[in-house]
Amino acid sequence: MNPVPALRFVVRVALQNIVRNRGIAFASLLTVTLTLLGAGAAVGVVFALDKVLQQEESQASVLKVFMADHISFASALNLEHTLASEPSVQTASFENKDQAAAQASSTLGLGGALHILESSGGGNPLPASINLHLKNIAAVTAINNQVSTSDLLFPGPHQTDYNKDVIPRVEHYILAAQLGGAILVAVVGAVALVIITISVRTAAFVRRQEIEIMKLVGATDWFVRWPFILEGMILGVISALLASGVLLGVGVTFGSGGSLALGVGMRLAVLISLGLILGGAVLGSFGSLVGIRRSLAT
Amino acid sequence: MSISASPAPPRPQVAETTRPARHEPPIIVFQNVSKTYPNGAAAIRDISFTIPPRDFVFVVGASGAGKSTIIRLLIREETATKGHVLVEGQDLARLRRRHLPRLRRKMGIVFQDFKLLPNLTVAQNVAFAIQVTDPGRSHLKEKVGEALYIVGLEDKLNTFPTELSGGEQQRVAIARALVHRPRIFLADEPTGNLDPDAGWGIVQLLLQINHRGATVVMATHNREVVDLCRRRVLAMEGGCLIRDEQEGQYLKEGEANL
Repeated sequence: MNPVPALRFVVRVALQNIVRNRGIAFASLLTVTLTLLGAGAAVGVVFALDKVLQQEESQASVLKVFMADHISFASALNLEHTLASEPSVQTASFENKDQAAAQASSTLGLGGALHILESSGGGNPLPASINLHLKNIAAVTAINNQVSTSDLLFPGPHQTDYNKDVIPRVEHYILAAQLGGAILVAVVGAVALVIITISVRTAAFVRRQEIEIMKLVGATDWFVRWPFILEGMILGVISALLASGVLLGVGVTFGSGGSLALGVGMRLAVLISLGLILGGAVLGSFGSLVGIRRSLAT
Repeated sequence: MSISASPAPPRPQVAETTRPARHEPPIIVFQNVSKTYPNGAAAIRDISFTIPPRDFVFVVGASGAGKSTIIRLLIREETATKGHVLVEGQDLARLRRRHLPRLRRKMGIVFQDFKLLPNLTVAQNVAFAIQVTDPGRSHLKEKVGEALYIVGLEDKLNTFPTELSGGEQQRVAIARALVHRPRIFLADEPTGNLDPDAGWGIVQLLLQINHRGATVVMATHNREVVDLCRRRVLAMEGGCLIRDEQEGQYLKEGEANL
């Protein structure tokens, strides 16, 4: 079979299908656009939520190891180097007593109290510390256990500080957001699939005599299927383009500072659009395959 | 699609006699074939017959006798519950689904209800059979023109089916079935919706197709046609083959008076 005229025939019939059944095609276009719009919005929201949670996670991934006053500077640096080489540690930085005091003065407004203590001969009460920024929030507890019993800081155990309560909560939120987003996308995807299947099944019913004749004169199953698959694919892609256009429009309208609404960057917006187009094409063709199956049963 | 009439070849004469090739292997074989539908209704019960190439066979019987089931088994729209149906030596029960189009391209099939597409012209209806099986085929217009010439509708190329008489519509269906130059031509009650004159015209056309070398199987309950033609008759009753005569009539002699 010559592919060029075959392709021409398939494209012509697919477009005819859409034009002839324009009522059904429009209804499915509208519904699939709405469902893809929901899917795209869900991805955007999950992304934004994930970004917020990542920031929370980043802040909660800081572990502060306090040094006893008698620990030598060399020992502290040795521990800093050892911890910096741990796979789960992003950065490790030593903070001496003076830096701790300056930090407390600037962030907590304790400058006056520290000055009184120092001038009365009590010295700087704040300890030196090693500030660890971990790659993954899940590693905080393990590193804390390792550090707090370290032989390098004789005598142990050593006091540490990290946000114990936040860690499980952030992990829980991230899991819930990802799971919720996946469920939402799966549900709207299933709805779109059902709509396209119904649309193609209706088109196949309208064209049942044509399909019957095609089969009787010896057309292959694939030749009967292709116009319907292309029809579903066209509807899916047009729906995805419409949904992407609406999402981008809303994003630009409510965005600020070079990014779209919800802090979605342009790169992600393009990725979501491409994902919707691919998803629309896959949904459309798969829905068509399911829709036309019954017509090819005999 | 707009097709201009190709130069007219001389119109073939209607065959006076058929030339069944009885010395050649049969083109159609039914071996102890039974067909029972899922609802339990037995459409065909243990029938056997063979048809040599270029034979012209009437399958006669009342409604529900099993005539159409024989046609449906031959195009493998149905499969036999028991026994074997062979076409050109190929057991249709063993034919893979992907090879079904190849079988159907060897066959021309027409039905009582014509099965034309009303939104396509006569030429487009005939061309449709080529476009959906071999879209790149060359000389499409010539082949369509030739098929329409054989059925005598070369002047109706751009007419829509709804503008034609029943007889003319059936001729278009025959032209569509002819474009693949089938070796086997199956007609299921092709005169059922036609007046006697138009019906007789269709039968003459089928005789002509047979004369050109195709094996023709025609299911009918048109008694006059069968009796006039004096061709082979397979008579069905209640799903059983009750008679197989070489130059038979619709009813056995004496049955008409019962």
